[in-house]
Amino acid sequence: MAERIDLEVPATLNALSTVRMVLGGLGARLDFSLDDLEDIYLATDELLRTALDADSLDRLSVEVLLDDGVLRFTAGSFKSAKLRADVTIHADDCLDLCMLLRRTVDDVVLEDDDGAYRIVLVKRRQGSPA
Amino acid sequence: MSGSDERRVSDPLDLESPPGQARAFAAEDEEEASVHGGPAADVQGRGRDDSEKLDQYLLRRYHLYGDRTAREQLITMYLPLVRSLARRYASRGEQFDDLVQVGAIGLIKAIDRFDLSRGVELTTYATPNIVGEIKRYFRDKGWSVRVPRGLQELNIRLNKVIDELVPKLQRSPTINELAAAASATPEQVLEALETSQAYNSVSLQASPNGEGGEEDAGLIDYLGGEEEAYDTMEDRTTLAPGFAKLDKRERYILHLRFFEGLTQSQIAERVGISQMHVSRLIRRSLERLREEIGELDNPQIMRPPGDDPH
Repeated sequence: MAERIDLEVPATLNALSTVRMVLGGLGARLDFSLDDLEDIYLATDELLRTALDADSLDRLSVEVLLDDGVLRFTAGSFKSAKLRADVTIHADDCLDLCMLLRRTVDDVVLEDDDGAYRIVLVKRRQGSPA
Repeated sequence: MSGSDERRVSDPLDLESPPGQARAFAAEDEEEASVHGGPAADVQGRGRDDSEKLDQYLLRRYHLYGDRTAREQLITMYLPLVRSLARRYASRGEQFDDLVQVGAIGLIKAIDRFDLSRGVELTTYATPNIVGEIKRYFRDKGWSVRVPRGLQELNIRLNKVIDELVPKLQRSPTINELAAAASATPEQVLEALETSQAYNSVSLQASPNGEGGEEDAGLIDYLGGEEEAYDTMEDRTTLAPGFAKLDKRERYILHLRFFEGLTQSQIAERVGISQMHVSRLIRRSLERLREEIGELDNPQIMRPPGDDPH
């Protein structure tokens, strides 16, 4: 059965450690490996840091959905065109945000949200159904 | 100590001039001491019996009669030993004088806890106490923010547990497996892993396990010229924006993770350092790149031409 956790934190770098701790606890409940957890940490950290730089936000909204070995992380809403480009456009084979996300999570999705957009990162436990 | 006490100490062993052991320590050059085996060795050649008698006499004065001056005299006598031991650790980023002060605390503890009935020499008992205190200082100072001792120790345990579990399981362990193996709760494991990011990076010359034993190989030994991929990577990436700010190890680890697609556990095995250390290095490298890229105002971090990971 799916379980949803909503988190709203100040849009500051200090708050990212709170997000990490929550993700760690949830990942542990899904029995993610240490390598998988580290991937989630890296992906969310880099994404949110970039978002904080690119978008002027007061609060950061995060939603985590757990379902059958799959962790679905959603952050937003964002309006920055630069952030959208950083997440979706991979310049050749550079180590940019887009590549980092591809290397650390299974799926990256942008969802429209009433003129803005939300970024979804999906991480599956090894052996989970795709 | 009263004047009569002082005379009683001085008379049999000539304390008007420096005592045997104190004279031996005071006279020695510390560089020379390290070459010839340190103060203990030096004492052996300069009236060891007299020195031991003086040690035992002063220790009895202190422990049986509460003679604080005898204690101070012992501390003074053995400070050269502290300096000699501290010198071994002076090249690891801490001030020599600070290490001497820390080592002196170990010496004082050794003098205070010395058990006269055990029949050992003070040098034998004091040396591990002094070294232990210096090592503890390094362990505590290695943390850039104050982390409770319990978490630091759990961190050290986790390092070992991860190293044991990865080859045993043939995969990266889960948090629950780590918790069971380290006799901790999953929450404690997560907290320890998070705080491990506060641990200062060791230098390339430091040992991979962070203990810094002199016999240990340095990290740089694990990054030797045998790694052909490393040389190739080096050629292609040194000109990339921000990359020049990273050292060879950091460039290599980023390359393995993001261009060769190795997991952190696999990188740890390849490079010969712990998974937790790989994690710290990756995060710090990305942090440094981000800072550098911010200055360049260029989102591109690293470009190894012709290397398409997808």
